[in-house]
Amino acid sequence: MTLKLAFTLEQRSDHFCGHFSAMASPCEILIDGMDRQLAHIITQAAVNECQRIEQKYSRYLPSNLMQRINTSNGKPVAIDDETFRLLSFADSCYQLSDGLFDISSGVLRQAWRFDGSDNIPSHEQISKLLPLIGWPHIIFDQQHITLPKGFELDFGGIGKEYAVDCVAKICHQLNPTQSVLVNFGGDIQVTQPRAKQGFWQIGIEDPNSQQDANKVLRIASGGLATSGDARRFLLKNNKRYGHILNPKTGYPIEDAPRSVTVAAEHCIQSGLLATLALLQGAEAEAFLKQQEVKYWCYR
Amino acid sequence: MQLTKKGNISAALAAATCSLLGLQAHAEVADNSWQIDTALLYYGESDRVQLAEAVINANKDFGDEHIFNGKLVIDTLTGASATGAVAQNNVQTFTRPSGNGQYDIVAGDTPLDDTFKDTRVQLDAQWTQPLWENVRGSTGVHLSKEYDYLSLAVNGSLAKDFNQKNTTLSVGLSYAFDSIDPEGGRPVALSKMVLNNDQFASEEAYQQAFDATRLPGSDDKTTADVLIGLTQVINRRLLMQFNYSFSSVDGYQTDPFKMLSNVDQQGITQNLVYESRPDTRTRHNIYWQSKYAMDNAIADVSYRFSTDDWKIDSHTFDSRLRFKLSENTYIQPHFRYYQQSAAEFYRPFLLDGDPLPQYASADYRLGEMTAYTLGFKYGIDMGNGEELAFRLEYYQQDPKNNGFDQPGALQQLDLFPSIKAVIAQVSYRF
Repeated sequence: MTLKLAFTLEQRSDHFCGHFSAMASPCEILIDGMDRQLAHIITQAAVNECQRIEQKYSRYLPSNLMQRINTSNGKPVAIDDETFRLLSFADSCYQLSDGLFDISSGVLRQAWRFDGSDNIPSHEQISKLLPLIGWPHIIFDQQHITLPKGFELDFGGIGKEYAVDCVAKICHQLNPTQSVLVNFGGDIQVTQPRAKQGFWQIGIEDPNSQQDANKVLRIASGGLATSGDARRFLLKNNKRYGHILNPKTGYPIEDAPRSVTVAAEHCIQSGLLATLALLQGAEAEAFLKQQEVKYWCYR
Repeated sequence: MQLTKKGNISAALAAATCSLLGLQAHAEVADNSWQIDTALLYYGESDRVQLAEAVINANKDFGDEHIFNGKLVIDTLTGASATGAVAQNNVQTFTRPSGNGQYDIVAGDTPLDDTFKDTRVQLDAQWTQPLWENVRGSTGVHLSKEYDYLSLAVNGSLAKDFNQKNTTLSVGLSYAFDSIDPEGGRPVALSKMVLNNDQFASEEAYQQAFDATRLPGSDDKTTADVLIGLTQVINRRLLMQFNYSFSSVDGYQTDPFKMLSNVDQQGITQNLVYESRPDTRTRHNIYWQSKYAMDNAIADVSYRFSTDDWKIDSHTFDSRLRFKLSENTYIQPHFRYYQQSAAEFYRPFLLDGDPLPQYASADYRLGEMTAYTLGFKYGIDMGNGEELAFRLEYYQQDPKNNGFDQPGALQQLDLFPSIKAVIAQVSYRF
């Protein structure tokens, strides 16, 4: 039924690069070594896994699991083990962030559109949405999830990083002896150090740079993720409204860094720490220091 | 309101990530812990030496390639070892190395000294760390002690990576000091064994005669080794290593328990003479090793050539092939072939009436021989980095006569008996 995603495979000096587009991002799979057939198999498997996750959890696609959950109108919806694990993970994130990370806060997008304009929503618009937010109101167990009427779930905050980790896991299973780098729009996981020089060199966007100049990072293994988007903001009366919203107030977090990049063992960990750092606003650096991880914070 | 009051949430987040991705938690912790290898080994020669050995090897990575390795070996040796004397068609009587008492060897048998009972303890410690970019340094100490023998050694080496870590050049030095103090003293080189056939007027007279063939106190030797090595990654499946080493030994190298039979033209032993070896020995080694990784197997093949100024040239060919049997088991057949020429002072016996040479030894280990080992290892990956493995091997050593005419009675006797041994090992890594 579904259309197969196309990918390209490019041979480079000492590795192969598989390219495709998914999850609204350019996706890259770098495969160490010179085995074209293996690179082809790995990229194909990555495309398949990425597409599977996107089709299952994207809130933009019709008649998928997310749509069934978000239009359930207060009735229980059957879920599988993978969804249960994702919900449990989201629950941990909610608890660890004292409620700042809330996957039910996506409805705020109805009021906020970060298009660079000065369209700040009214207090009425926002206060109408706040009763539709609140993770503790959502009931789930291993078989079912029940959302209160009008509630919506959005895995957008963890979906891409989760996909990176799932794809990396499959790449490692297919190629346990060599390094594979999975990069979905800057969210990265490396399965193991490269055979020769040990690390991959990748560019990450520097939001302070006026050009598209990238900062080059070396990554040997583990995950890397960036939260924040220098281009998504509103500007009114010289006040900049960043796109990170506080689910408790419905307003953007004040004094948040423009972008935070974190290196951790897994991409999804990196992504969460980066997002939670943004949610700390002015305290972002202090929070990152406490986590004892490698980070790059841009203001 | 601020999250910082929660402090460090990394660990909790890591645990949540592991359950989300279906991974084993705390993998990171395991990486920093000690890796311990333990092994129990049995080596048994038919009718000769039996050895039981326990090994504990501990490795710890303190991060950033700062690695400690410690090893403890305890072995215990029992059984009989060939003395160098030839078999005879009559019962032979020998004085024990300590001078206290005698033992008899039945007609036709290769004389073995069954007084060998010894426990040896060995300790090693090695520290390796990066010194500069692409340069690693390593240094270690070694101690081995048994009843009459002590060995102490220090080593140091440098390894430099070139060519994006595809090439590694290493240089190493080691220096060892060994001291031996056998019970009953060391025999005077080429002195005749004193046998107490009641010809002495008293026990004291015998002891005096025995002591005249002995040197009191201990003696020692020093060994200096230099090694130059080159490791080259040929491609993603093939790795090669070349080593050259030079070794210089200075000091007492005679085996105080070995002797030669002095036989007449009929091949009848007239008396027994304690062996004598030169006190210097220099040796050159060339070693080549290749490891080739296939999809479900790893081949490891090596060759060593060794030559020394005792004129012993040896060739060792060793091969292992590890096959993956399933996700968590492997089998590794092993074949080793060894061949050496005899030392220039090796002789299976002395001829009565010939002038005594300066150096002489009938130790079969210095004679011409071939040897092979055939066996396999079976390993089970228990998960969590634990491995249980079993090794079973057969070893056979075939000494050869490198051109000595066997006079008279010796023609009918087996002067070069083969040695057959079984090696069994159980090892566990955790």
